[in-house]
Amino acid sequence: MKLTTKKLRIYSWIALVVITLGSVYFVREMTQNAYMETDLDEYMPKEHPAFKYSDMAEEWFSIKDGILIAIENKSGVFNTGTLSKIKEISVRLQEMSQFEENDIMSLYTADNIVGTEDGMDVQPFYEEVPGLKSEQDSLRQSVVSNDMVYGRLVSTDGSVALIAASMKDDVFDEAFYEEIMDFAKSYNGDGDVIYVAGRPIVEGTMGMLGPQDMKRMVPVVMIVITLVLLLLLRSFRATLFTLISVLISTIWAFGLMSATGVPIYSVSTMMPVMLIAIGVAYGIYFYNHLNRYRLLKPQSGDADAVLHTLGVLWKPLSMAAFTTIIGFISLLTSQVYPIKYFGLFTAFGIFMAYVLALIFLPSSILIFGSRKYKIKAVDDKPTYTILNRITDKLLLNKKTTLIVTIVVIVISVIGLQKVWINSSFLDKFEPNSEIVLTDAFVNSKFGGTSTLNVIVESDDADAFKQPANLRLVDQLQESTEQLPKVGNSFSLTDYIKRMNKVMNADKEEFYAIPDNNEMVAQYLLLYEMSGDPENLVKVVNYDYNKLNLTFQLKGDDSKTINEAIAVIKSFENEFEKNGLKINYAGSGYKALVFSDLILEGQMGSIFLSLALVFILLVIMFRSFKAGLIGSVPIIITSLISFGVMGLGNIALSTTTALISSIAIGIGVDYAIHFLQTYSVYYKKTKSRHEAIHETMRHTGSAIVSNAIVVIAGFLVMLFSVFPPNRMLGLLVSMNMLTSFIGTLSVMMILVYTSRLFKPNKKQINSNNEINDK
Amino acid sequence: MTNKKTNYKQMKTIKLLAITVVLLFSGVNMMNSQTTGLQVMQKVYDLPSGKDTQAELTMTLINKQGEKRVRQLKQYIADEGSVEKKIMYFTAPADVKGTSFMNWSYSSAKDDDQWIYLPALKRTKRISSGSKGDYFMGSDFTYDDLGERHPDEDTHKLLREETVDGKPCFVVESTPKAKGHMYSKTITWVLKDTYIGLKREFYDPNAKLLKTLTIKNFKKISGVWVILDTEMKNVQKNHSTTISLANVKINQGVPASKFTERSMTMGQ
Repeated sequence: MKLTTKKLRIYSWIALVVITLGSVYFVREMTQNAYMETDLDEYMPKEHPAFKYSDMAEEWFSIKDGILIAIENKSGVFNTGTLSKIKEISVRLQEMSQFEENDIMSLYTADNIVGTEDGMDVQPFYEEVPGLKSEQDSLRQSVVSNDMVYGRLVSTDGSVALIAASMKDDVFDEAFYEEIMDFAKSYNGDGDVIYVAGRPIVEGTMGMLGPQDMKRMVPVVMIVITLVLLLLLRSFRATLFTLISVLISTIWAFGLMSATGVPIYSVSTMMPVMLIAIGVAYGIYFYNHLNRYRLLKPQSGDADAVLHTLGVLWKPLSMAAFTTIIGFISLLTSQVYPIKYFGLFTAFGIFMAYVLALIFLPSSILIFGSRKYKIKAVDDKPTYTILNRITDKLLLNKKTTLIVTIVVIVISVIGLQKVWINSSFLDKFEPNSEIVLTDAFVNSKFGGTSTLNVIVESDDADAFKQPANLRLVDQLQESTEQLPKVGNSFSLTDYIKRMNKVMNADKEEFYAIPDNNEMVAQYLLLYEMSGDPENLVKVVNYDYNKLNLTFQLKGDDSKTINEAIAVIKSFENEFEKNGLKINYAGSGYKALVFSDLILEGQMGSIFLSLALVFILLVIMFRSFKAGLIGSVPIIITSLISFGVMGLGNIALSTTTALISSIAIGIGVDYAIHFLQTYSVYYKKTKSRHEAIHETMRHTGSAIVSNAIVVIAGFLVMLFSVFPPNRMLGLLVSMNMLTSFIGTLSVMMILVYTSRLFKPNKKQINSNNEINDK
Repeated sequence: MTNKKTNYKQMKTIKLLAITVVLLFSGVNMMNSQTTGLQVMQKVYDLPSGKDTQAELTMTLINKQGEKRVRQLKQYIADEGSVEKKIMYFTAPADVKGTSFMNWSYSSAKDDDQWIYLPALKRTKRISSGSKGDYFMGSDFTYDDLGERHPDEDTHKLLREETVDGKPCFVVESTPKAKGHMYSKTITWVLKDTYIGLKREFYDPNAKLLKTLTIKNFKKISGVWVILDTEMKNVQKNHSTTISLANVKINQGVPASKFTERSMTMGQ
């Protein structure tokens, strides 16, 4: 069946209308349903046993993430102004619907357990703000002598007070983030400086910066890509249509996300840059082939040229697109949903870019025409290019090349062992950003902005009225607090020790667990009768067989948490002897488990994408050997990538974990193009040497263009406000460079020396090997 | 506090006078046809309570996980007019057995006096009286909920009459006159025949239902209506407290010497 130009134009119009309608629909979906997910809990797999346990424990003890408002006054917080502010902030937070009244902890709301002449009293530190110097001094005295608040709610140097507000679940959103920041900052002044920290604030800041970053990066990447395209395509119109097609693929990817109700996670904010950087390569291939045809047959019509281009292009383009899609699809092995979704929707976006390169770009030419090319005709005679020269050098120094490669691999494997995982969310920000500085400041004055909850359980009711068990917990607290990054800890033992002390005339030697369980039980009863029993609910359950021990940590990274857990684990045996089981809970611990899952998923997706790419290569070239040789550059690339991360102290994080599977998917494109061209030329010329040089001459330059575009696109990520995103841009660019170099060096040599695609004996002409010599 | 209490007394006299005047002019039938919320609550308040009471009390706290904390006490209460004295001995759980708690509540402005005796420490300690809005021993009852609230502290409105479990009741809404009270209002279902409050709903300052008090069992003992089983449920926190009394003895005579620090150390 022959397609007439007229019919083709009708098809083109239909395609254009369908694409436009689809885009309009997806833009509508995006504007109506897109939302950014900033609740880190939503990033974690809820069915995982560690998360299930943690969620349960969070329910038992109302463990919630807190906003920390620190108020600093260089001349000390015990003055009328600062104390009034502490009171006012506490009261106003209690009135906000996002907080439970009981969950605001500050010097104003705290219980002061004090010994009186004939007993014990639990009273507020102050109700009316003390106006007299003497009153303020006695308040300072009562703070300094109370270990339950000293260093916890007021810094030991007396210059900073802390207001910790635990938030209800699912109430934190961008509007509230702004509200709470404005609210807190309104207390700046009169010598007081306000700092706002805590996990919800970190999440909120990320939620705000994410979309901002995306909005800023898209224009930058557009400009860079436009320049690169203009340079490579030398046509304004081709550049424009290529850009439109990648933009449409991005819109469709995000539109589909919105339409299916999948939120934008922080990792998804990298999608536009990736889709644009990867997608334009398909446009380049299309216009390259089109131009080549035009140059050979200047008189051919648009329809003719387009049909011809599609005929040659569809196979290698499909291969290139599918391997890239495989790279992203392999991320589905991750247990971490944001990464799964990122993989899935980026894969969809790339599929769209591929489809648009085959439909939209041809249609645009058929409808809007194409301009006549003014480029001087390049003669197609064999020329000895730089690439050919390099090829000869490499072929002469095969051994050297292979030895260099092996050395690089060995170094990489050494580096690979040093790769560490970082679950820190704070590390996603600039080291000198306000949020990081605030966090460091609060950490320097108090126990720590991050928490680790240790849950101790026993089958026996009243286990935690037993002095033996309480002493064990106390020892555990003391040992763990020795770590430099563990600020302090808090549990039932702190209440009991404090009460024992005040009931014994405030003598320091009684700051200990009493000797019999009746005493413990009676102290607890006494506290319930005179204090705020709801505070006890946060440290022990009704049956006294579940205990919540909270550690304040000065870092939210895996190293800090793992160090603490290592010390706690060393106590496990002794706890076991008393029938006590140790478990962990809280957002810090969940983040740790989460980062382990990321690593697992990372390994899974690397092997999956390698396997799939290998299978695809074997099928495409009908050769097992081709599969092996074709995989070499991407295996080397992955090793070098991890090696550099290990040696460069770059942690695996939710962001950088994506690199390898992406790099495999995109990096193998070079091998595919090389192998395909080589197999064709080898068949034609029957000479390895000639085939290699022909391949270098034709595909070599296409590979160079492809590498330039993708590297340029990913380098744009250096403009991101998130350091891990910048790292990702840099590493992917590096990976593209190594796969590109690997393909044209090691793989080329392997192809040559292994006599890949050597025809069967039957097909060999008697003279074919002579040409090789 | 003094001022408030004397005010109530004065107001009570004034109100009574007013009611008498109204009754004189309008005839006796008014009472039945136009019962007011205040009248209902006054009658509830005026129910005789006995000079002294002894009982075994079981208090059960149930949290949202369904865990229970059960405490058993033996309590003695005596009304000495200007002061109401109460002493409670813990009998269970075992590790607090022998612990006792004494409370003297004055009708004057004086703050409550409270003592606790801890056998493990072998010492009686004074503890500060919690504010009226504090929850008693981690239960859902505030000190205020456990005491009787004078009708003059609220404005009352008879909302309607309806039956609860087949028994006709007055439904009265009471709004505190003082600002900043922990409840914005309460609604009480009062049995028409005995003037026993059968059920009460407590609303928080945002006018949302906070707690529901239900009387599950009551009995006339020595001529006094005694509430034997009650449940207070905090619907917002999903936490509840039940209190049940057993072996209740009314007006059997509790000696004044029962309410001393010395007696606290000697057990029930």
